Amino acid sequence: MRKLVALLLALSMILSMASIALAETEEPIVVTVFRGDPGDQPDSDNKIYKMIEEEFGIKFEIEFLAGDLDETLGTKLANEEYPDLFDGGNSAETLINAGALIDLMPYITEEGTPNLYNHIKDLLPQLVNENGELFIIPNYGIHYNAQIQMACNGPAFFIQKQVLAWDNYPQIKTLDQYFDLIERFIAANPTDENGAAYEGFAILCEDWRHFCLINPVQHLMGRPNDGEVLINVNSGNYETETFIDKPYAKPYYKKLNEAYKKGLINPDTFVMTYDQYIAKLSSGTVLGMFDQTWDFGTATAALETAGMYKNTYIALPLVYDESYGFGVIEEHYLNGAVPNKDRGFGISTSCEDPERMIALFEALLSDEWQKILQWGIEGEDYYVENGRMLMTAEQYNVRSDATWKKANQALAIWESAPKKQGTMDDGNAWAPADQDENYFALMSDYDKEFLTAYGYKKPADFFNAPIELAPYGEAWQIDKAPIQDDYDDYLLIQDQWLPKIIMSADDAEFDANWDAFVAEITPSAQIYTEFMQAEVLKLVELATK
Amino acid sequence: MTAVTQNIPGQTSRKKSIWNKLWEQKYLLLMSVPVLLYVLFFNYYPLWGWRYAFENLDTKTIKTGADWIGLGNFQWLFGRDDFIQSIWNTLAMSTINLVLGTLSAVLLAILLNEVRNKGFKRTVQTVTYLPHFLSMVIVVSMAQEIFAYNGPVNHVLKTLGLTKDTVYWLGDKKYFWGLVGVINVWKEVGWNSIIYISTMTSIDPTLYEAAAIDGAGRFRRILHVTLPGIKSTFVVLLIMNIGHLMEAGFEIQYLLGNAQVLDRSQTIDVFVMNYGIGNNKYGRAIAAGMFKSVVGIILLFGANFIAKALDEETLL
Repeated sequence: MRKLVALLLALSMILSMASIALAETEEPIVVTVFRGDPGDQPDSDNKIYKMIEEEFGIKFEIEFLAGDLDETLGTKLANEEYPDLFDGGNSAETLINAGALIDLMPYITEEGTPNLYNHIKDLLPQLVNENGELFIIPNYGIHYNAQIQMACNGPAFFIQKQVLAWDNYPQIKTLDQYFDLIERFIAANPTDENGAAYEGFAILCEDWRHFCLINPVQHLMGRPNDGEVLINVNSGNYETETFIDKPYAKPYYKKLNEAYKKGLINPDTFVMTYDQYIAKLSSGTVLGMFDQTWDFGTATAALETAGMYKNTYIALPLVYDESYGFGVIEEHYLNGAVPNKDRGFGISTSCEDPERMIALFEALLSDEWQKILQWGIEGEDYYVENGRMLMTAEQYNVRSDATWKKANQALAIWESAPKKQGTMDDGNAWAPADQDENYFALMSDYDKEFLTAYGYKKPADFFNAPIELAPYGEAWQIDKAPIQDDYDDYLLIQDQWLPKIIMSADDAEFDANWDAFVAEITPSAQIYTEFMQAEVLKLVELATK
Repeated sequence: MTAVTQNIPGQTSRKKSIWNKLWEQKYLLLMSVPVLLYVLFFNYYPLWGWRYAFENLDTKTIKTGADWIGLGNFQWLFGRDDFIQSIWNTLAMSTINLVLGTLSAVLLAILLNEVRNKGFKRTVQTVTYLPHFLSMVIVVSMAQEIFAYNGPVNHVLKTLGLTKDTVYWLGDKKYFWGLVGVINVWKEVGWNSIIYISTMTSIDPTLYEAAAIDGAGRFRRILHVTLPGIKSTFVVLLIMNIGHLMEAGFEIQYLLGNAQVLDRSQTIDVFVMNYGIGNNKYGRAIAAGMFKSVVGIILLFGANFIAKALDEETLL
């Protein structure tokens, strides 16, 4: 008996000492977080954040972007008001240039942080800057084992599935086929079942999302997304040129002009805001657009929630056909995995304990935590059968529900933190949506039928296999800050002229507008081309070093 | 000698009386201290920041210390056609707002003043001033729906046969100033008219009676009693508004504008936002703001001088 008491005493002492030790190292802190895009605040009793708090003693105070990104960052920088974890979204270069983020390289070592070290070691030459500094670990694009591409997640021409179904599932490969189909569909079905008029083609022009207006030509010419330049990768010299002012851009805008004259394009498309665009897409009345999948995800979710599967979109890889005189163009929309350079969380200079942040990322990058962050809790959010991670229809479908997400996922942290993509060592996919069984079994009946009609298994089957990523990555990632004024001019001239060109009343006006546009944009395009050419060559040199 | 001896006590007593006066009013003076501090801190202290107008301040140099570049920022600003255009846009839109805003407010006040039914008068007053409390974001969103290409305004115009083609209100730059004027009138007319209505109620009713006895009809009475009665209020407000002529507003142009109409919609404030804050070139933003303030001060003194010359009430 006495022995037992002594043992208990000893045990309780050890336990209490352990808890003291734990409390010393893991003193609870509140970490302030800024996310460079809009989002939903998680519920206060969100289960994943609770787990993080229990395990690491870290509670997050998250601020999402409201309003214009550059202005928000500019204000924060001017006030020197930095959150601990600072995600500058699409303008993270501003934060780096302003010295608001700390260099992460001193904190990442093979022994201390093996997960992070192995995560980036192969990509380091591409990721670090000229001084060997790394400020942000990419939030996306680092794949383990086999890369999985189920659908086109980037730029493409999109069309409502019902339009293809209506024409008995044709293969649409060229620009002319695409607009011809939309025209025929709208002639046969001017309004939807509720009497709302269909809009043939929408073009989002607001702010930085004007890539819907200014980017398509490179893809029609058979290149993946390099932003506003076309790069000749075959010659070995990586000749870089702006494409918007070139003769091969004109036919695309001529096509849009024809579509406009036929009433397929609503003039309001050039003045609408992003919110209005999403609202329009969500209503199911827009038949087609050029965009990037992630850009209208909320609209897709809204359509699916409303059960309007036929109004959801499928991505198509369009090119100019031979009649345009540019030869036979092979489409190359899908690119090899691109590490999302300088996108994601940086640790700001006002963060008091950067080591702890690194330790957090290191821990979250472990297989165990990646499963929790991406799949959830075993038995609750998924189950395992014969080593395969699976979800019931209910478990899978609830994942697109916004209310559920707020309570059951740590999206605000996960989205901007370093993460594992591709395939786990045991063959399961890191993303639940990439798991074959889930993807095919849990697809809506409409989508299953739609793909079966084409004889396809996944939306990416409409595309050629991803090409090998060019050594410079994707040129849109290049920071244009050194030529900001000229770059602004270059973009503004396009924003002002292209809608005017598309809305030309007749061919003579179109040609006159086009010539005036080319004349006006040439000076800034030249500066931009020279800058980009130099940067591309620099990146190629870094990657091949 | 006598004159001198008489003078000195006179002077000291006058001096003393000022201090006495101050002492007597010490509580009143104390009460004004917070306001004085507010003005000093929020209106005068930031003027120190004007020095940045002469530095190449941006996100990079904010830490290391910016260099003095003299008038470099001003040269950049005035070398840009779109900045010059934004000055004209600012002046044009404020003039439109000033004229339309004042005329509509005076007109509404006169109309309401002539209404005998108290209940109706109050209802109209409330209904017209409520939009003042709406955020500009909401007002512009409504306007974007109303003036959309397939929106109600175009529908009505076409149904009534007033226009043949659909009007591209939001994307054609020639309509932009007009739209801003109309939206501002809708939003502010009730609010602006309050001060005129209150001035009209303080006009001596015997004046109206006398005019009526002299045989003046309604329009005569408006012309010869009401309008002269609000003249001084009108002038004071005009001077104040002219001082604000460089403030054409920011929200409405920023929200309603787009690349299509930028030539007409970009005011100085929007320009500052796009090229100063948006590109983190704070020096340029401050230079533009400084230019605006200086012009504003000149306009204010100018208007005051003219008012003085016309022997009207002045502010300064």
